Amino acid sequence: MTKEEQLSIINDAIRQTKNNLKPLGFNLVFWGVLINFMSLFHYFFPSIVQFSYYSSTIYWVSIPLLGMIYTTYYNINSGNKIGYETQLSRVIRIIWGVFGIAWISIVGISVYSRINPVQDVLFLLALVLIMSGSIIKFKQVTLGGVGLLIFTLYNYYSPEIHLLLVNVIGITFGMLIPGLALYFQNKNE
Amino acid sequence: MNKEIEKLLFNPIRLKTVSFLMTVETCNFKALLDVTESTKGNLSIQLKKLNEADLIKIEKYFQKSYPTTDYSITKKGRTSFEDFFKQLQSYKNE
Repeated sequence: MTKEEQLSIINDAIRQTKNNLKPLGFNLVFWGVLINFMSLFHYFFPSIVQFSYYSSTIYWVSIPLLGMIYTTYYNINSGNKIGYETQLSRVIRIIWGVFGIAWISIVGISVYSRINPVQDVLFLLALVLIMSGSIIKFKQVTLGGVGLLIFTLYNYYSPEIHLLLVNVIGITFGMLIPGLALYFQNKNE
Repeated sequence: MNKEIEKLLFNPIRLKTVSFLMTVETCNFKALLDVTESTKGNLSIQLKKLNEADLIKIEKYFQKSYPTTDYSITKKGRTSFEDFFKQLQSYKNE
């Protein structure tokens, strides 16, 4: 084997590593649809969701927890199918794992302090989206995060908007639309 | 550079394996089969040799009751590959 052949083998092997971002796109779409659906259901049927003192807390904790179990299962399966993990996908996995822990903490603290967690969760989500978008160099995700951050900050000073509608608008522009863009871009590759 | 390492990386399957592992954190056996376009038996032998030379790390564990193996490059493997690559480039530039 000549030196040129060895260099060619190295180049070919390195080129076969692709940063597969389709799972991240799927996760954004899944959470975008789930949270929007939950927010709209809560908005239109408050008597069902708030039928007792703790029912809305149970509603907002149990369903997302099931979602977390499902996405964890999906992510493990898609990781096995791809067969390898790049440094980039590892960083993204860690960032969203930390977001999940922070989200549970915020909801827990909010229940304890009897305050609504929507703005704090959206603020945290905006930061995570900006981080993820910048790391994967995908403008739609970064812009979605920036838009969500501006909207959340505006909402801190304009509390007259219904928080469930804030959730729908924020999640649609911050997660759902960028997630769809990321999912279909990777699907077409 | 260590002649033993140079000899090890002279094999195309071993070279492909180490080159690919340089770009990923971990990978499974199927991904290495795709990259090397080798047979299962041959790849297993080459991986064992790389592992014995401490160039790659092999981790075996159970996932949903199925045995799974992850492969990653060791610190020695990374340094050896970098030296090998520099040497190749210097030959090319001569």
